[in-house]
Amino acid sequence: MLLAITGNEKLIGRWESPVSPKGNITGVIFRADSTFDAYVNNKPFTSGPYKLKNDTFSFTDNGCDGKQGIYKIIFFSNEDSLRFQPIDDPCEERKNGMSKLILGRKK
Amino acid sequence: MLKYVVNLAVIVIGLVSFIPGPGPSPGLSDKVQLGKLLFFDPILSGDRTISCASCHKPAYAFADSTALSPGVSGRKGTRNTPSAMNIALQDIFFWDGRARTLEEQALAPIENPVEMNLSLDQALRRLRHNKKYRDLFRQVFNSDPTRGHLAEAIAAFERTLETSNSPFDNWKMSGDTAAVSNAVKRGFALFGTKAKCTKCHFGSDFTQRDFRNIGLFDGKALNDSGRASLPGQEKELGKFKVPGLRNIAVTAPYMHNGMFRTLREVIAFYNDPEKIVPHAINRDTVLAKPLGLTEGEKADLEAFLVSLTDKQFAGGSIRQVPD
Repeated sequence: MLLAITGNEKLIGRWESPVSPKGNITGVIFRADSTFDAYVNNKPFTSGPYKLKNDTFSFTDNGCDGKQGIYKIIFFSNEDSLRFQPIDDPCEERKNGMSKLILGRKK
Repeated sequence: MLKYVVNLAVIVIGLVSFIPGPGPSPGLSDKVQLGKLLFFDPILSGDRTISCASCHKPAYAFADSTALSPGVSGRKGTRNTPSAMNIALQDIFFWDGRARTLEEQALAPIENPVEMNLSLDQALRRLRHNKKYRDLFRQVFNSDPTRGHLAEAIAAFERTLETSNSPFDNWKMSGDTAAVSNAVKRGFALFGTKAKCTKCHFGSDFTQRDFRNIGLFDGKALNDSGRASLPGQEKELGKFKVPGLRNIAVTAPYMHNGMFRTLREVIAFYNDPEKIVPHAINRDTVLAKPLGLTEGEKADLEAFLVSLTDKQFAGGSIRQVPD
């Protein structure tokens, strides 16, 4: 019921970036309990709680002194891919990374 | 701060599922196999007694179990051998960061007089006069051994020493909440909050790849100035590279000088640095006040750190921490 209301179901699951020119894969696991784990090359590197309301994605993680980041989440390619557009994130380094991140749903 | 996604632009070649020994490993490229052979071969030391693996021991996550590793003729340096595992994503090497690439790092110990004590010219001459190596370099690089190819091969092998199969990884990647104990979960929560560890140990290898002065320089008994010993880095007094924490339970002793024998000693230090090392110079402001950890919280932090141990090291001498 909660999922139907929030629209989280579009997001829940494992998403990964294409292989970077230097061989790295970044991924995020969005869970139904509104937590996520992000990883690089199968190594977890940050985690925390998130919320998705309509197209507004907000979260905190282990970095950035617990500051919240708020992004517009943009699904494309038949909702099989997504990217994040910053709305408000005081953590510049995170914002730079998130802005360039494109993820595809891992089958 | 976090080098989030875009700054994670370095090479990872593969994972190992076993503790690599000196023999050939199926599936590794010829260049990696050559690098592995060189890594374990004392031919690269002046008296032919010391290899890279003499100090970077596979059983200890390619670190050493002594504070200071002996080099040729039993000579000892001043800094603890760091783990050579999980460095594929790193872009600073040595405790003072004097090498910016793994290739640059790979050659330095060969020439270091207290480590392997062999000039690169001599090393290359030895390799060129050795039929096995001459053939292998020709096979891999289509040339005789060169300085660049020697570095490239060793670095290629080191980049394969990645681990991502610890209980912590299993918990986070598979969502298996039973993969770790409740103590680990509490420790992980503390790691990012009250204990302030993520201020420096953040990322997939638990390092932000920068330098900090944690308060182990007092200009007297503790007089290694760290990064400040490099030309133009005088303001970096007492700063050392923040090491990664994967497999930390098997890489004791700890810190740049190996002064702490156990993780509990490390945690006790961070909990109240002034109590352990009074009058440190330029200690980082993150550590300005005692953390105030309880004994239970210290145990939880230790449990979390132990959970970063790859399963290839399970069954060793890692201290088990109760739930």
